[in-house]
Amino acid sequence: MRKIKIGLFVFVFLLVGSLLHYVLPQHDIVRITSTEVIRTDFTWLNRRFYAQADSGSAELGTRDLRLINTEKKNTFLFGFIPRDSSRVMVYRNEDTGWIWPPYFKFDSSDLQAQAAAEISVSGNEQWAVLTHYGWRNKYLSIYPNAIGVRAVDGPDVQVIPWFNIFFFVFLTAAFLFLRAMWRQFRERTIDPAIQDMGDSLEAAGDAMAEKRGRVRRWLDTWRN
Amino acid sequence: MGLIRLVFFGFIALSVVYFLVSIYSRSVRREKLEDSWGKDNPDSNDDAAREAFVDRGITEYNASIRPKLILLVYVIPVIMVAVIHFLTTYN
Repeated sequence: MRKIKIGLFVFVFLLVGSLLHYVLPQHDIVRITSTEVIRTDFTWLNRRFYAQADSGSAELGTRDLRLINTEKKNTFLFGFIPRDSSRVMVYRNEDTGWIWPPYFKFDSSDLQAQAAAEISVSGNEQWAVLTHYGWRNKYLSIYPNAIGVRAVDGPDVQVIPWFNIFFFVFLTAAFLFLRAMWRQFRERTIDPAIQDMGDSLEAAGDAMAEKRGRVRRWLDTWRN
Repeated sequence: MGLIRLVFFGFIALSVVYFLVSIYSRSVRREKLEDSWGKDNPDSNDDAAREAFVDRGITEYNASIRPKLILLVYVIPVIMVAVIHFLTTYN
């Protein structure tokens, strides 16, 4: 029972963790090498890793996809610890529109133009901080979605993830509030109901009282 | 179309949150009133007086600004959407 509990906990933790890792913004330090547009045919396998067609356009099975090709500085620990090496990274650039994930991004074309304006040539390297969400996977042909780009002087910039800080503070507060609500509900509504149930069962005699004990014991397992 | 969908489902979701928070807030207030009655009248068995005291407190609470503050549940997400949209698009 305990093992199942731990297993379930780990599973839920991984699920929620990967969802947050996919959806929350991250900052990469990159050198933009080129921008391009490719035609993409989605399959049921990778469709969910793309947003929709540009805001205001028709949604078809096939469409063009803006890409930003970069060389990205490697990091450890979600970008907190910089490394000396770098690798190639390709970002897509799609409108997220009004729905999911909630970035409310409508300016893909502008972002593409901005990325093109900050293309880095060797000998005169231009570094940029590129904000994105999502994952790169070569087997599914999916790309992280670029949200914003801004030029920086050099590759040694430390970006403070303000949004994520606020987000996790909010998440903790929401969790504590929800827990307080649940406790209040249990204390004021469920427990009195059990009390009533218990009282009426008590009057019904020992056999029933035994049953009540069982009900109580079962309910007690929910408490901790 | 996407905006309409967001407003529609957002309104439903926030209404659920609004009602839950309202119920919670009133419940906490009721408990506080009961506790303060118990403190002031430790050996009173007058349930009717206790009830009247609590009901008066709840009426006072309903008229105060506190339950209206829960309407911020609707306001804050709209502001957040506007801020995120602004930061993504114009920054």
